[in-house]
Amino acid sequence: MNKMVLQYIAFFFLFGGFFFLLVGVVGLLRLPDLYTRMHAMGKCDTLGAGLILIALMLLIGDITNITKLFLIGVMIATINPIITHLIAKTAYNRGTPMAEGSYVINDYVAAQRRRRRSRLQEVAKGDDSSQ
Amino acid sequence: MITTVLYTAVVGLVIISLVAIIRAYGGPSVLDRMVAMNVITTNVVMIILIFAYIDQSYYYIDVAFVFVIGTFIATLCILKLLREGHII
Repeated sequence: MNKMVLQYIAFFFLFGGFFFLLVGVVGLLRLPDLYTRMHAMGKCDTLGAGLILIALMLLIGDITNITKLFLIGVMIATINPIITHLIAKTAYNRGTPMAEGSYVINDYVAAQRRRRRSRLQEVAKGDDSSQ
Repeated sequence: MITTVLYTAVVGLVIISLVAIIRAYGGPSVLDRMVAMNVITTNVVMIILIFAYIDQSYYYIDVAFVFVIGTFIATLCILKLLREGHII
């Protein structure tokens, strides 16, 4: 009886993970832009994979395999944001256009210039104080 | 009942991957294709793990682990090639 309840909880988690993966792919297919597609993919994929891993952990119930599955979950949860961040940075550097009529506040270049100027001032100040 | 539900989930994941292949085939830029391939990678890892439970052959979990690491290195190499023009 206890095992039956555990199976139903596992099915609930499995259905949730499948639903989130489906939503991510629908967003990948329907959204108009690279950045919005990445916004749909990067979150739904990680959450769906984590929920399916929780379901498999509940079904397996063996401590060594649960540890391996937890390790795979940690790997996916760290790798997916890294990949998304790098794809977004590459797309920005290559000048990939956004969708028509999107409202953009571009602060990236101005922030970089400000940071470089402050660093130069700090270096100059440090040289003055040391000499 | 449990194997039926798991096989249904596997068939659903395969259909999702086939839908993502549409975006990987006709994406306007290279990075769209890379995003779609990332989705397909996660689906393949989930399919491997579900089959590991259905067959009760748990060494497939190590296969999934190596698959995750390999695709991560491959995606990093492709992105470095796109950004800098060379890999090494």
